[in-house]
Amino acid sequence: MKLTEIMRLVWLNLSQKKGKVILTSVGIVAGSATIMLVLAIGKGAQMEVAQQFRNLSAGAIDITYEGEAVSGAALQEGMSGPGGGMPSGMTGFGGGSNRNRGFGGPMGDRSGAGAGFGAGSRGDREEISLGEEDLEEILAYVPELEDGTISFSVMATVEGGNLEESTSYTIAGVKENYAQMSNLSLETGEFLSEENDENKEKVCVLGAKAAREIFGSSYYAYNNTVYLDSRPYVVAGVAEDMGAVTSGISPDEAIFIPYATGLKYLTGSQVSPVITVTAADVENVDAVTGYIEEVLSERFPGTTFTLSDAGTKMEAALGTNRTLQLLLAAMAVIVFLVGGIGIMNVLFVSVEERTNEIGILKAIGCGRGDILTEFLLEAVGISLTGAVMGVLLGLGLTPVIEQFSVRVELSLSGVLLSLGFGVLTGSLFGFYPAFKASALLPITALSHE
Amino acid sequence: MAEELIRIVNMSKGYLLGDEKVPVLKEICFSVRQGEYVAVLGPSGSGKTTLMNIIGCMDVMDEGEYYLDGVAIHETAQAGLTQLRNQKIGFIFQNYQLIPAYTVLQNIIMPLIIRGMGHKEAEEKCMDIINLLGIGSRLRHRPVELSGGQRQRVSIARALAGEPALLLADEPTGALDQSSGKEVLKLFGQLHDRGNTIVMITHDLNVAAAAQRMVTITDGVLREV
Repeated sequence: MKLTEIMRLVWLNLSQKKGKVILTSVGIVAGSATIMLVLAIGKGAQMEVAQQFRNLSAGAIDITYEGEAVSGAALQEGMSGPGGGMPSGMTGFGGGSNRNRGFGGPMGDRSGAGAGFGAGSRGDREEISLGEEDLEEILAYVPELEDGTISFSVMATVEGGNLEESTSYTIAGVKENYAQMSNLSLETGEFLSEENDENKEKVCVLGAKAAREIFGSSYYAYNNTVYLDSRPYVVAGVAEDMGAVTSGISPDEAIFIPYATGLKYLTGSQVSPVITVTAADVENVDAVTGYIEEVLSERFPGTTFTLSDAGTKMEAALGTNRTLQLLLAAMAVIVFLVGGIGIMNVLFVSVEERTNEIGILKAIGCGRGDILTEFLLEAVGISLTGAVMGVLLGLGLTPVIEQFSVRVELSLSGVLLSLGFGVLTGSLFGFYPAFKASALLPITALSHE
Repeated sequence: MAEELIRIVNMSKGYLLGDEKVPVLKEICFSVRQGEYVAVLGPSGSGKTTLMNIIGCMDVMDEGEYYLDGVAIHETAQAGLTQLRNQKIGFIFQNYQLIPAYTVLQNIIMPLIIRGMGHKEAEEKCMDIINLLGIGSRLRHRPVELSGGQRQRVSIARALAGEPALLLADEPTGALDQSSGKEVLKLFGQLHDRGNTIVMITHDLNVAAAAQRMVTITDGVLREV
């Protein structure tokens, strides 16, 4: 029999039992809708994570100190050797002699001077604070680094503009390259410059939300004056809206000031800055992290720093999403199984009901292959109907789910996959009843009551 | 003399009842020439339906030989039998055996569709038969909307659609009233006159009398009358 004629018969049979087809396909409807929404929610979550991390480059590594240094005595003992040499593991960059000069020399000097970052001087401190010198050292000795910056954030009272009373805001002391490293774009004005930092000027850049709250809009904020800890700062620029981020300084609600200005007027030495560096190649983040640890361990023996790279944070966030997706996908598979078993049951009943018809077809010469194809196509037709309805249901449910602040990103691939899964389920579960129908003997089928 | 269409030699068939094999057909020898109109007359349980199933290639014999239009059926595999049923045999059943979901036309053209013909071509090919049987006005109806006589006409039209070598009728008037039964027998007479070979199974002597030749079957043994 021609396939087109078999399909005509399939259409004839299915179109006469519309209600039955719809009821049979309920399981597939649920399964397809679930698959489509699982993919859409998963993709939405991925995009959400990407958006939340968009203020970080994939190769960015944050270095912070969160603990206490070891005792001074222990450090002194640790430094009693030749002093200042680069760790043996650092052979990947620079010439050996240069390394020794570049690293060991200055270290000895600074140690003697008792200022800056020498290990001896560090050992005398109760708390360790990373500084600009540490950043310079890392940039000088760690290979494969693209850029680096140092920043801190504190809470400070803000007055001025439309604020009726002083309000606390996050004040971020940053270097001139912070905007570029954090993918921060400006809506108005310019970002802080090197001169601003060198001259410790009282200028600032407002986050989009901060600008709206203090001045009503970025237009009114620009070139206006805002008071941080009662000192006037000129607004040099307003950042574009960045949305929520999960790592680093939340840019929309922050006020950025030059790093040196912050140290002078806001924090003094009571600050714990964060050094952020970016690896030139994202693939080398692990190796770069290792080099940084070695440089830091040389500079601060026995001290543990926290190094976290954006990629790991993103990976962790995506990992959570993947687990959730897997869970939902497992649910969809169960729904499909239940739907498939439903289809199989209904097809068994259908074969039973149509045994006489099968007998007639076989008596007049219809082969096993044709019967198998017809019943299998009926199963595919039922499941395709269910899958299409499932996709429509998924589309209908999308705005409802979004009401619960869940980001749903529908995609053509998701639609096709849910249709494919639906049809596949129908075909797999429809095969056995179809096979059973095709294997009936004509005289047995004809005499069936 | 016309060629033999059916030749059955020493055919036996039995069914297992528990461990015991019960013989249904015993060493049957039977032949039908092309264009013959033969009635197989027998009471219920005589083995006539089993004989029809074997002649119709829907069942297989245990022993013996069966040739249909020169084809050795006893040596043919199941797939081959299916094809032979489509190409050489037209079935007319007591209970019409029409597919209720299909229209009259779809039922009639089904053997041709199975043969691989397109819907339109099959429809055109069947128009002469449809007109001969007088069911042209009922083509879009479903079998349930027809009377018993009309249904049997549709069944006959389907049997003729594929221009088979043999028309095999099992109690064709069994479910019909007397008037409709007479009409069907008259139609069989016309088909015989056209040259169709007909083998009709019946338990009714009056029906069998309409045939050109009659054989009886009793307890699995076939005898010429």
